Amino acid sequence: MLKLSKSLVSQIPKVQGTLGKVTFSSSYTRQYSVSADEETKHFNHLAASWWDINGPQRILHKMNLVRMDFIQQNITNSISLNDKSTPQGEEVYVPGYNLNLLPKEISEQILSDQKEKRTKEYEKLQLRCLDIGCGGGILSESLARLPIVKSVNGLDLASEVVEIARKHKDLDPIIKNKITYELKALESVNKDEMYDVVTMFEILEHVDQPGEFLKEGLSHLKKDGLLFLSTINKDFVSWFTTIFMGEYMLGIVPVGTHHLEKYIDYKTLDNLMGQQKRFEVLSAKGGSYFPCYGWYLHSHPEFGNYFMAIKRIE
Amino acid sequence: MLRFSIQRSTRYFSTSIPRQQQHLTDVAIIGAGPAGLSLAAALKANPTTKSLSVGLIEGSSLDPVKNFSQSPPENFTNRVSSITAQSVDYLEHIGAWKFIDQARIEPFDNIVAYDGLSNSRIEFDNMEMGTMCENINLQSCLLQRIEELNDPTLKIWDSTKVTNIANDTDDAANGWPVIQLSNGDSVKTRLLVGADGFNSPVRKFAAIESRGWAYDRFGVVASLKLKYEDYRSIAWQRFLPTGPVALLPLPEKNATMVWSTTPELSKLLVGLPEDVFIALANCAFVLPQVDLNYYYTLAQNEEYDELLSDIKWRFENYTSKPTIDIEDFPIALESVIPQSRARFPLKLSHADSYVSNRVALVGDAAHTTHPLAGQGLNMGQGDVKSLVESLELAMKRGLDIGNLLALEPYWAQRWPENHVLLGVVDKLHKLYSIDWSPVVAVRSWGLDVVNSLPMLKDFMMKQVSGK
Repeated sequence: MLKLSKSLVSQIPKVQGTLGKVTFSSSYTRQYSVSADEETKHFNHLAASWWDINGPQRILHKMNLVRMDFIQQNITNSISLNDKSTPQGEEVYVPGYNLNLLPKEISEQILSDQKEKRTKEYEKLQLRCLDIGCGGGILSESLARLPIVKSVNGLDLASEVVEIARKHKDLDPIIKNKITYELKALESVNKDEMYDVVTMFEILEHVDQPGEFLKEGLSHLKKDGLLFLSTINKDFVSWFTTIFMGEYMLGIVPVGTHHLEKYIDYKTLDNLMGQQKRFEVLSAKGGSYFPCYGWYLHSHPEFGNYFMAIKRIE
Repeated sequence: MLRFSIQRSTRYFSTSIPRQQQHLTDVAIIGAGPAGLSLAAALKANPTTKSLSVGLIEGSSLDPVKNFSQSPPENFTNRVSSITAQSVDYLEHIGAWKFIDQARIEPFDNIVAYDGLSNSRIEFDNMEMGTMCENINLQSCLLQRIEELNDPTLKIWDSTKVTNIANDTDDAANGWPVIQLSNGDSVKTRLLVGADGFNSPVRKFAAIESRGWAYDRFGVVASLKLKYEDYRSIAWQRFLPTGPVALLPLPEKNATMVWSTTPELSKLLVGLPEDVFIALANCAFVLPQVDLNYYYTLAQNEEYDELLSDIKWRFENYTSKPTIDIEDFPIALESVIPQSRARFPLKLSHADSYVSNRVALVGDAAHTTHPLAGQGLNMGQGDVKSLVESLELAMKRGLDIGNLLALEPYWAQRWPENHVLLGVVDKLHKLYSIDWSPVVAVRSWGLDVVNSLPMLKDFMMKQVSGK
């Protein structure tokens, strides 16, 4: 029953030795995102069943639900209620102290004013999105269906998967013309193509130099734009959940999807972002999957899977 | 999301055949009963789901519903439901309850249920127990709310039958349902909602199995006049071995009844002369079972004069006993509104699932129950609330609302809740169908115990009123 292969055993974590190795280098020439052909081959193999929500990718379809919750929450939270363009006298009152100090009627009024303004600003949004590692388009389609999204550009390297994504989007008239898929590496994207939202979900663990890759993604972010990512810590919990349980014991993730040596820690990425003055980590959440329930986001990004929202502040 | 787009069908070249249109909707609801109309109004009242284009298809004409608010019928109609406080809250939330004709509804804050064999009884006394409301009044308030919202992306086809439902492709996983209408048009939809009652064509299209059993009982409904107005606002229910008989309050001297009984008796009751029916109905709430059985036989033999004079004599004798307090019983009935008697078969049914790819079921299409707890319509309202919430969440997550990922939360929330309620009502019916005296003694003792425990009664009340 237990198909413990040599490759699985060899992936048992050597956590200490690999922490913190990833750094930004100022110049790079080689293509770091074209991760071994094996990765591409693996995902091409999965192409046919990509959109079967009860098939091998069910766990990914379920994860997409919390991805979207995470994205929506951060977009809403990052809306500034008052900025320079707000005419004088029309600013929403945002007190610099705890609202609990005020009588209930007043604090409720303030909150409802804020909510109304936030909704108004939210509805005005017309976001251009870049979905890096779009796969069969699960996230791209979800983004495109939001009224606040103007267009989605999805990139992937697995040709058969991209073909599936192109065919699938045509099934729904409202997203058909909002999405374009390209079989293209991130570093081949034109340097001056800028986006409001860049997403890198479940991709950093499949590239050879995640730090460089993330930096390349950030370089396409407009001011006030948001980058969303999710990936996996390089720790025992991750090995146990994503590889041992997910791929081998429960069989809910296709075997060969994950390689522990490519995982990158939340702390490493958080440190990297700390060095970047132009960017700020808005939110980081841990994510856990429970069979029969689905994904659950919690406040411990240091273990297992984690999600991050990064904002370009200048 | 989708605008109504109209495609000219190119299949016909002859100009003598009227051109057929294919309409495209996000949500197509079949059935404009209380569940279907609620769903349409709720979708359009919700700030997120209001962008969905909605089509509502109804086989019969909605003219009586449209005319109801301007010129309501003089007498009460016979299709009346108990609406729980929770359902009223939801109808207020979607902005429909303000249009209800207040003169034609009657809130009740007492329920008295008593055993036909032992006269053991339980009384619930609580504010906001429920409201008796004609179904057409509820439909009318929902339709007025829809008119008030005046949303061009909501279209209603009434007097339009569904002739066929099919998938637009052979590939069931990616196809969209296409509904053929009797006027020649068709509607292609992202999500098809069956609010189309017990024999739901939508459920059959989705190949969802519905399980259950017939109770071998019919419900007899009638609109009645009391001898004088009852100010107590009590919903009465007496459990006879043939099934419960309920008398429910309506404004002034009006009341409505649901008399669950055997198929033969139900047929008899609906066909009896009006004065004989009223005499029998009065007996059903007061006299012992042995007397009732005798009068059923007289009625079957059409010995009406004998029956009426005997009932009069028996009634006076019985109610003048010192142990009988007439205050414990409903006000006597005076007359029945002509043509208001009708009967319908009672059954329990529950669909295995409420959802499949691009299909959802609400209301009686998903479940039917015995009317003794007055929950049928309210379960449908609960379905609508849950379905709209699931669709709202799905839209915030950018899901295709016809996808199972969008619909599964609705089914996961409602199916277990409804299943428990169906089970409880079913067991109550079965418990009170028994006339073997040890069982009668035990259930009467149980009822007396429950009646003396206010906390337990409060808990039960919360379950029934949904609050």
